[in-house]
Amino acid sequence: MSFLLACPECGERSAYEFRFGGEVKSRPQQGDSEEAWFQYIYTKANEAGEQEEWWFHRNGCRKWFQALRDTRTNTVIATWKPE
Amino acid sequence: MAIHFNGRQIPIQEGDTVASALYRAGQRIFTRSFKYHRPRGLLCCAGNCPNCLMNVDGIPNVRTCITPARAGMAVKHQNARPSLDFDYLAIAQRFDWMMPVGWYYKHFTNPRMWHLAEAQIRKVAGLGEAPPPDAPEAVYEHAHMQAGVAVIGGGEAGLKAAREAAEQGERVVVVDDQPRGVVPADSKFSLLSRSYCFGFYEGNLLGVLQSEPHSGARERLVHLRAKRVVVATGAYEAPLTFKNNDLPGIMLSTAVWRLIHRHGIQPGTSAVIISNELGDSNIAAELRNVGIAVVASVPPSDVLEATGGKHVTGLRTSRGNYACDLVVTCGHRIPDAGLLSQAGAKLRWSAEAGAFVPVEFPPNVTAVGDVLGAGLKAAAMLPAPAETTNKRTFVCLCNDVTTQDLSDSVAEGFDHIELLKRYTTATMGPCQGRMCQLQAIGICARETRRSIPETGVTTSRPPNPGVTLGALGGARHHPIRRTPMHHQHADLGAVWMDMGDWKRPRYYKSAQTERECVQQEYAAVRQAVGVIDVSTLGKLSLKGRDSGKLLDKVYTSRFSDLKPGRVRYAMLCDEAGIMLDDGTISRQADHEFFITTTTGNLDFVEQWLEWWLAGAGWDAQVNNLTSALAAVNLAGPKARDVLSALTDCKLSNDAFPYMACRSANVAGVPALLMRIGFVGETGWEIHYPAESGEHLWSALMDTGRTYGIRPFGVEAQRLLRLEKRHVIVGVDTDALTNPYEAGMGWVVKHDKNDFIGKFALGKLQGAPAQQSLVGFTMSANEIPEDGAAILVNGALAGRVTSARYSPAVQKAIGLGWVTTAAAEGASVEVRVAGRPVKATVTQHVFYDPEGARLRM
Repeated sequence: MSFLLACPECGERSAYEFRFGGEVKSRPQQGDSEEAWFQYIYTKANEAGEQEEWWFHRNGCRKWFQALRDTRTNTVIATWKPE
Repeated sequence: MAIHFNGRQIPIQEGDTVASALYRAGQRIFTRSFKYHRPRGLLCCAGNCPNCLMNVDGIPNVRTCITPARAGMAVKHQNARPSLDFDYLAIAQRFDWMMPVGWYYKHFTNPRMWHLAEAQIRKVAGLGEAPPPDAPEAVYEHAHMQAGVAVIGGGEAGLKAAREAAEQGERVVVVDDQPRGVVPADSKFSLLSRSYCFGFYEGNLLGVLQSEPHSGARERLVHLRAKRVVVATGAYEAPLTFKNNDLPGIMLSTAVWRLIHRHGIQPGTSAVIISNELGDSNIAAELRNVGIAVVASVPPSDVLEATGGKHVTGLRTSRGNYACDLVVTCGHRIPDAGLLSQAGAKLRWSAEAGAFVPVEFPPNVTAVGDVLGAGLKAAAMLPAPAETTNKRTFVCLCNDVTTQDLSDSVAEGFDHIELLKRYTTATMGPCQGRMCQLQAIGICARETRRSIPETGVTTSRPPNPGVTLGALGGARHHPIRRTPMHHQHADLGAVWMDMGDWKRPRYYKSAQTERECVQQEYAAVRQAVGVIDVSTLGKLSLKGRDSGKLLDKVYTSRFSDLKPGRVRYAMLCDEAGIMLDDGTISRQADHEFFITTTTGNLDFVEQWLEWWLAGAGWDAQVNNLTSALAAVNLAGPKARDVLSALTDCKLSNDAFPYMACRSANVAGVPALLMRIGFVGETGWEIHYPAESGEHLWSALMDTGRTYGIRPFGVEAQRLLRLEKRHVIVGVDTDALTNPYEAGMGWVVKHDKNDFIGKFALGKLQGAPAQQSLVGFTMSANEIPEDGAAILVNGALAGRVTSARYSPAVQKAIGLGWVTTAAAEGASVEVRVAGRPVKATVTQHVFYDPEGARLRM
């Protein structure tokens, strides 16, 4: 693993500067079903392909951002600040 | 000027490699082969084959033919006993019938037999030995480089590409395996000499190993990142296959050229050249120029076998027999395309070149020169004809794999090239297939009646060539964090312990044994006053209008209603209700909070808060003040007396009650004071600027002297808090602990609309606990170790997380997990030194259960 990631604040850096934060998921509301919470807490899509995920620039601006990465090739298609 | 070879002095000349110096001094056998201990001599003189590997200055498997000789080097042979010239293990050749291809799998079907055999095989087979643990350590280092264009290979084509790119204004780095001086230095580009690229990784990251980057380091691993990579690794010459083709004195034509031109060595006296280019070839002229008689030139197809014992003495061919002491082979030149293959290029068979050539390059990777295969010509019949199949024609020199072995493997069913590789281990040795890959593919194709392109090529993976483990490990340095008062602790006799990167005083050496020291520190806190450096605590400031909202969402309790000037215990859980960290949060102003975390979890907590803030659009800023602030905890019945002498802040119970916080000057230093009680006595945690760390510590120690103040360490603190039954997250809890099982359900505020973990904690709240954290008192004065088993009715029921001798209880006490709900007063057993010892479960706090001493 040695691909580059473009941090929205700091620009393109080695992936080793970042902490991987997992898939982007949407958090259920309180009152949603147990099944919805179960899926949110314990399961992952583990996409073989393009996946939206969280990254934290540990050795840089120390901010979180999101990226669209192809997990098969480690090609980072886009990065952006979360809204 | 000399090197030491097996204790002998070998003179060296300017420009010598270790191998050239040895060859000039008459050494002909350089190694003994892996399996049969056959004598092997210089073959490629280019670092491509395994025939010259020796131990140099304690480092095994050094390619001596490309290692510049330096006066005083200690060179030793490998894998031969007692010497290279007489190796009694060469008897292995007589037993080759016992060692057919795959003989490990055929003979050692019984695991017990394998264990017996393994130790013996390890002694007689193989390459160099790893340096012993007490060997002096070589220095290795890592470096990072960026380039617009990286050119791999400093030959003609590589240098041309480098100059062109440099003229276009690119930042160019050239990687070349030759010593500085062989490649012309050029101000237009940077040159990494004596360096080779062993791997091509994602994002155009190149692994480059540089030998002796400066006199202080043996090797440097350069992480070279390039926008564009130009591969100019050229082509290398492969050996020919005929019987006894591995005898010393049989050399590649390029090796002969190097010995003559680079080192001024006459490699023999009478030579036979094996080449398709008959008549007066270039190499024949080269040989004659240095006074070598060219006995004959024969095409590869006419060669029957080489003769000789420890050195070649002649060549038998279908045209006749020739006596000679040098056989020069002109074999295929093969594009060195491994790096391109790693980069994602395809390899396509070219019948004209007699080799696989790289095609279809990925973006930003190009190749120039011979590596493209243009202009290379097939030099011998491929595949070698079936008549050359025997047990003395070597394909893989690294692992002693013969043409017979390859044919037999296909006959046994290992007929795919990747299977054949793994079964025979051909191409898997130190040369990584440079010498043998093409012949192995050829034989596989012949035996399976397929074409060479149908047979295909094995995959090249990094590292290729090999890399020393020392270089991968890099420099041995470990960052150490010291608190601002570190040197004062050292002066006070601190005995250190590691907590992550931090050094913390475990206790202070005031008596003979650790136990006595800890007891003295403990007694000071309980009876007078003690002070502990808690600067390692994570310290975060949180500012902004939505700060309370963030804390309410992330922590289990409520903070939006905390009044300025107050402190509250804080616990973090994840969405599954697992305890992650704890600490305190104090409110300094309406929109300003101060958070402490445990020493080890600071990074995590900071990232966790930032994560829940990301994209939320809330006005809240997290600032890590851990290194900016020093912190001490002053505790004990006399703490107020000491502190009041140093501050104007009112410290009475009314003015500064338990769980309050104030900003005030202490010894002239602006500080945040929090009245909290981890150790169970009246006390203040004081946070103040790190640059005043020593000043305030000294002031406390000086003022406290008349009150009997003592510094206390982590060990005393752990005992003090255990008597108070305060849980340490990560010590008494683990990755499965929720607050209900830990007996801390009170910290979860379910009346909040939403917070992290609310759903899961709601489920856990009423559910029967799978396990619970309980206190226990030992019946005998024996202290169990952390992790000791807890037994109920003789069956395993849990484990101890913390146990100490409690002066307050006058017995050993502890905390531990039990699977069954153990009632107050229940009798259990705890294993101490292998024996069960009775203990009594208690949910009570061991010391001052009402907390009266905290409020004194």
